[in-house]
Amino acid sequence: MSSESQLLIPLHVSYIKALGDNKDDLAYHMTTHLRMNAIYWGLTALCIMGHKEALDRQETIDFVMSCWDEDAGAFGAHPDHDAHILSTLSAIQILVTHDALDMIDVPRVAKYILSLQQPSGVFAGDSFGETDTRFIYCAVNALSLLGHLSDLDVEKTVSYIRRCKNFDGGFGARIGAESHAAQVFVCVAALAILDKLDEVDQQTLSWWLAERQLPNGGLNGRPEKLEDVCYSFWVLSSLSILNKISWIDSEKLTSFILSAQESENGGIADRPGDMPDVFHTHFGVAGLSLLGYPGLADLDPVYCMPADLIVSKGLRKSWKALERRTE
Amino acid sequence: MPTIHTDPPTLYAERSDWADVTPQAQYENVNPLAPIFYTEEYKDATDYFRAIVKSGEMSERVLELTENIIRQNPAHYTAWQYRYKTLLTIKAPLDVELRLMDELAVKHLKTYQVWHHRRLLLTETRKPVPELAFIARSLKADEKNYHTWSYRQWLLAYFNDDELWDGELEFVERMLKGDIRNNSAWHHRFFIVFQSGTRKGDEDRDEVVRRELAYVKQSISQAPNNASAWNYLRGVLDHSHTPYSTLQLFVQLYTVPHSPGETAVEVIDLENPPPSKDSQLPCPAAIEFLADIYELEGGNGIPKATELWKSLANEHDTIRKKYWEYRIREALQSTGP
Repeated sequence: MSSESQLLIPLHVSYIKALGDNKDDLAYHMTTHLRMNAIYWGLTALCIMGHKEALDRQETIDFVMSCWDEDAGAFGAHPDHDAHILSTLSAIQILVTHDALDMIDVPRVAKYILSLQQPSGVFAGDSFGETDTRFIYCAVNALSLLGHLSDLDVEKTVSYIRRCKNFDGGFGARIGAESHAAQVFVCVAALAILDKLDEVDQQTLSWWLAERQLPNGGLNGRPEKLEDVCYSFWVLSSLSILNKISWIDSEKLTSFILSAQESENGGIADRPGDMPDVFHTHFGVAGLSLLGYPGLADLDPVYCMPADLIVSKGLRKSWKALERRTE
Repeated sequence: MPTIHTDPPTLYAERSDWADVTPQAQYENVNPLAPIFYTEEYKDATDYFRAIVKSGEMSERVLELTENIIRQNPAHYTAWQYRYKTLLTIKAPLDVELRLMDELAVKHLKTYQVWHHRRLLLTETRKPVPELAFIARSLKADEKNYHTWSYRQWLLAYFNDDELWDGELEFVERMLKGDIRNNSAWHHRFFIVFQSGTRKGDEDRDEVVRRELAYVKQSISQAPNNASAWNYLRGVLDHSHTPYSTLQLFVQLYTVPHSPGETAVEVIDLENPPPSKDSQLPCPAAIEFLADIYELEGGNGIPKATELWKSLANEHDTIRKKYWEYRIREALQSTGP
């Protein structure tokens, strides 16, 4: 591992491409339950780096379709896995990115998603009932991409998010749970899609988010915890949606993300010196895009997808990233 | 990660008690984009699992099989779900299942499924009290584990039993005594004190607020540079609609460096415990708090707040320079020409 001052795009592209080879890698992203997510992370990172073609389009679409769970009417993470809202969102995001949404039975998938809403307004991940504000975001994002957002009971959904708001302005995984940057992101982004950002205590939350930055430039997920590259996305995107991204010391965060790169075979890790994985590669690149790193495409922080794609679907919400630097 | 055995594992394919089952291999036609690197053992187990799911078998041996898979890959959510369905169908003793989960939870603290499975079991067994001790033990291994704390909050709220709530304040104080900077513990404290209704003995809400303010001030005095404590302080004040200005005397003690030749205070002011000897001063969170007090004052308070924000931007909290400059601009704008 070495400290870099440049984003090693060609290396990261080949790193992501190599995920298609039979290579022993971190169980974390190579296990089947994350496969659909992993493809979405890899593909989106490639789009932002300007190398969408590095993963074969048809192979990708075929894989997505092989995960269709006919009983549920939605997508599992892998061909033998039951449908789940996490993999369903990733599947939809991949198909939208490849302009292949017509491959699926859109109303049926929308129906599956809506069926996961609980009486309290939260969403379950699947028929087994684990609930988490992450799943609210998955549902809202997916329904929006499918063009079925109007089927959602917005007040019911928002009322649950509202009850997840903590004394520090942040949001947790469920009512009563601690504020955590990733959960803040999912709640804020869901509210953004629903045009309900007035539910957020913007001053307090923006300050709480700005406080995630540590002296080394990295961001953590809650007070007194370690920095991690993925928070570059969860925190930055939330701040970008709240139009406060300038509160982060951009230079220091950029250095931090770049120093977490693996300079031999590519990929980005959670922090400098650790093994890379596609999850952190994606969120590191996403963070750099929001920070205006030169040579990257714009990322929509609400949907965590290429910005021009979201604009073309008429879904852009008000958010502000840093100006793209020329060099 | 596959478990490392000293003896070679007996594959299901080699077992006579599984001879009646035809294993189902992974999908045949599609070339996966990112193929998993299987061990023989995992492939064997999941081939048999696929067969079982297809035939709909629910039996003791299915429990053995799903346990095997879960041990190798605790995030295999389909295996968890099928296991749960099987437990209920064959009416397996759930207490025994919970003991097994105790073991797995320790190894796989960060897996969502382990905790959700536990919730499902508890909604069946309806015996929450022993869970408190289990959670406390779990936390010893990872004191800030998000799932563990969230599970505790779920348990308390779901069963809403006085017997469960009664020991909580003591529990959270023990956790904070162990680590005053444990944000999860501070969050839990707010949850039990202010978000769980009124417990027996805490009917005097003003007294509760006084107690909490005293507690958090003591904690700050012990370790001033602790974001969780300052967030908690603000939370208590906001919740009780207590003006921040009432804390001015206390906060001011933390906004200046230790004086050389500082001697112990002769009269202990319980309302305003001073910073501990070895603490780093000035404390940026205190400066920020004082600035908020001045800003709320308005008038002459604004230039005083501005001075403090400048000191934060330029000296005490330079990483958030842009934020402090924003505060200065906003305050100037609101005062107008």
